[in-house]
Amino acid sequence: MAINPYDTPRGKFRTRAETTRRQFLLLMGTLASTGAVIFGTVEVLKFMFPAATGDAPQQFKTNFTFDELTGGVDSNGKAKAGATVRSITAQRVSVVVDDGGIYAVYLVCTHLGCTPNYVPNVTSGSGVADTVAAARGDRSGSEQIPNGWACPCHGSRYFIDSTNFYGPAPRPMDWVSISVSPDNFFVIDRGNIVAYRQPGDNTAPQWRLLLNSKKDNGKTLGV
Amino acid sequence: MSAPPRETSPVRAFVDEVWGSIFRHGMPTTDKVAARTALTNFFLHIHPVRVKKSAIRVSYTLCLGGLSFFLFILLTITGLFLMFYYIPSVDQAYQNIKDLQFVATFGLVIRNMHRWAAHGMVITVWLHMARVFYQGAYKPPRQFNWAIGTLLLLTTLLLSFSGYLLPWDQLAVWAITVGTNMAKYAPIAGPYTRYLLLGGRQVAQGALIRFYVLHVIALPLIGFLLMVVHFWRVRKDGFTGGL
Repeated sequence: MAINPYDTPRGKFRTRAETTRRQFLLLMGTLASTGAVIFGTVEVLKFMFPAATGDAPQQFKTNFTFDELTGGVDSNGKAKAGATVRSITAQRVSVVVDDGGIYAVYLVCTHLGCTPNYVPNVTSGSGVADTVAAARGDRSGSEQIPNGWACPCHGSRYFIDSTNFYGPAPRPMDWVSISVSPDNFFVIDRGNIVAYRQPGDNTAPQWRLLLNSKKDNGKTLGV
Repeated sequence: MSAPPRETSPVRAFVDEVWGSIFRHGMPTTDKVAARTALTNFFLHIHPVRVKKSAIRVSYTLCLGGLSFFLFILLTITGLFLMFYYIPSVDQAYQNIKDLQFVATFGLVIRNMHRWAAHGMVITVWLHMARVFYQGAYKPPRQFNWAIGTLLLLTTLLLSFSGYLLPWDQLAVWAITVGTNMAKYAPIAGPYTRYLLLGGRQVAQGALIRFYVLHVIALPLIGFLLMVVHFWRVRKDGFTGGL
């Protein structure tokens, strides 16, 4: 008969319950606080990694049309405007037209992520022979000039096919997908890499947006 | 016959009571009262009650730690003023800095004080560490304080880096691009660290607000706590040579 609720349990019950009420509450309290601390730490960490970011979309549309870039396509399937490069620095993409077609280079330096600038004399002072540079480019005859990109941060340089040849950059810049929209503008998807090359891989990517069909040839590299 | 008690005016009594409630001692004219002054004052109690004259001689080592702390205080005060004008938004930050320089009265002075004090603090902290190293002041019993000091150096550098990008000019954007890409090179944790620092995958608004919070709250607070421990250890371990 429990007359006083504060009496400690005695007899049969006492021997079976070897843990006192105080010990039990201490154990429960410890477990609860440990759990709360672990849960809280995990949630705070999760809080610090944003579930949604305000990042700009990877896909964007150019403000120039297919015809404005190429000047139309002649009977040989070549761009009338000839080989040309159009950089969209705000979106960090360069669109290159060569004899094979069109491709887009994602201008993120593979060293530490700055935006390389287009330069017409990319081999200047680098000790690389112009003939080597010319072989990397796809221009013909008198138009065959050394050109490419130079990074303003630490001086890495890239040929026009985005192959690195100078400075700290470890590998070539990536090519991203470019297509023509129904209203004849270009759609560039920086999330869709069509040519990815490992360090030391100097293969010239064959991927092109063909001038005649306005479709790509599907020759991706390393993806 | 003893002299009759001096009459005190109620005003004088009130002033004495207030003064006495704050300072539990008279003017420190004797060594004993001076010791009590140092012991019972919150701001002075970190000082040893008795210091050898030779120990506080400012010699060729220039009290570099003290200079660093002075610059930290200067940076805190000028930084507080800058915060009244600066908005950590990618659209406004650069214009705010321009306003500080060309519109706000004495804004140029405040900004330049902050800027040059920041450069100065990096220099004095480095030199302080070099001084401690060359004089062997990291040796027992001061190993722990050397470790705290290296953390303070790291905090100083992080403060410098995070402040560097707040104007959100070209230098800032590419510094944060390069800096966070360096973090990305770390094995396994690299990409996560970059995501955590930028609050996303691109150098944009999320990155600016994060570095702002780090610069004005988190890092100064960490620095302050480390300094408290650092000075406390200096107090416990004592001085041996000049400052």
